Amino acid sequence: MLRKIKEKLFLLGITIATVLTILPLFHIILSVILNGLPVLLERGLAFLTDTVAPPGDGLGGIGPAIVGTFVLTFLASLMGLPIAILTGIFSAEYPNSLIGRATKTLLMIMMEFPTILVGLFVMDIMVIPMGRYSAVAGALALAIVMMPYVAVYTEQALREIPRIYREGAFALGLSRAIVVFRILMGMARKGILTGVLIGIAKVAGETAPLLFTAGGSYRVYFAGLDRPIGAIPLLIYDLVQQPYENYHQIAWGASLVLMLIFLAIFLPIRLSIKEVKM
Amino acid sequence: MIAVETVNLRVWYDNKEVLKGVSLKIPENVCFAIMGPSGCGKSTFLRTLNRIIELNENARVEGDVLLFGKSVFKMDVVEVRRQIGMVFQIPNPFPHMSIYDNVALGVKFNRLARSKRELDEIVEWALKKSALWDEVKDRLKERASSLSGGQMQRLCIARALAMKPKVLLMDEPTANLDPVSANKIEELIDELKRELTIVIVTHSPAQASRVSDYVAFLYMGELIEVGRTEEVFENPKNELTERYLTGRMG
Repeated sequence: MLRKIKEKLFLLGITIATVLTILPLFHIILSVILNGLPVLLERGLAFLTDTVAPPGDGLGGIGPAIVGTFVLTFLASLMGLPIAILTGIFSAEYPNSLIGRATKTLLMIMMEFPTILVGLFVMDIMVIPMGRYSAVAGALALAIVMMPYVAVYTEQALREIPRIYREGAFALGLSRAIVVFRILMGMARKGILTGVLIGIAKVAGETAPLLFTAGGSYRVYFAGLDRPIGAIPLLIYDLVQQPYENYHQIAWGASLVLMLIFLAIFLPIRLSIKEVKM
Repeated sequence: MIAVETVNLRVWYDNKEVLKGVSLKIPENVCFAIMGPSGCGKSTFLRTLNRIIELNENARVEGDVLLFGKSVFKMDVVEVRRQIGMVFQIPNPFPHMSIYDNVALGVKFNRLARSKRELDEIVEWALKKSALWDEVKDRLKERASSLSGGQMQRLCIARALAMKPKVLLMDEPTANLDPVSANKIEELIDELKRELTIVIVTHSPAQASRVSDYVAFLYMGELIEVGRTEEVFENPKNELTERYLTGRMG
């Protein structure tokens, strides 16, 4: 009898703990929708293309910030993905070498590294010498944040391939480059793609690395790679600090847009992960 | 003519010696079986011949392997593997590639075909040689993973044959197949040995007696006995061999 009560209590305990853990997620999603949806409905598509309205006067739109997020994410992918994938290949192919082992540990640290420090680093090496915030500086900071995710996923995807396929490929007299790029990468492509998308989703929502690098730009669309650029998270961060009610509304609308972009990248990944099995 | 000769071949994994000086001569165009209980070093022996053992960082090899008189350790490793094909215990066609690409792959990247048509011809030839053509000729673009286990193994044989190797290594090629598929592979071996040298590893004396012309018996990393298959089976000289053949040992 006592044992059964204990069991019930235990079950109740973990249920409550689980609900408490997940509750904030639903609360965030719900409040973003409740506050953001009216803004989007009021402005319609114009919210996605217009520029930010003047303080206290209407809503306008967040067009430059959306373009900025896409430009920054694209540039960051261009810089980060090739290096990250090669790094992943290296630590998968030479797992016992000193550099290979060190890389793996360092990637793990890099993944959890405070992203604001990445922003400070890029400010130091690019923004200060160039004398201004710029799209390239923001993209570089995002690339640094993105790389460890992509590298770690690439490494894991390659390592999950059973040894017999490596042996089979080498037994055909193929060089290591062909074995890796034509055969193993092909077999691991779903895992690698997952890593790439997770990296992209991650940096599309980042604010801290952009604070000291991208500068922000909400009334001018793309002005050049060496000019300041906006981003949705940065816009939200800037606007909520302003004392104007209309800016707070724009920020809610932008939050909903950001959440939708994030979910659009993330949900397909999570749903497709089941298929990765060989 | 001797196709493959090993000279005092020794292999260590870390500090454990698994092959303790094996010297063998494998004649051309025969089926040569290596048999012995599990852990006797027969797979290791096979893997040394095409140097695939070098993928294992813990392995250390001493002694020599001569391929038609030339040391494989002095040849380019790509050249060695081009001349010595290999089929593994678990059928391992590349699952993300088509049936056609699996066979064409080695030929293409080793630049052994001059044109797309020549490549097509080689693929067809290899699939016919491995007795798979009739079953797959209408589905060459389908994924290799759509085949059955036995078909996959014959695809692996086709993949190796497409390179036109002089020697084919087979590491327990029927161990993971059903009896019907295994039988097909054995018939294939009989067919293929007219044109190339086959070295097959098997843990089954029965299979060795069915498919091979010569047989070597390895035990605990040492070569116990070698000779013509019927002689070894009918009249084993060593007591260990006799015990193994009569089923009184692993």
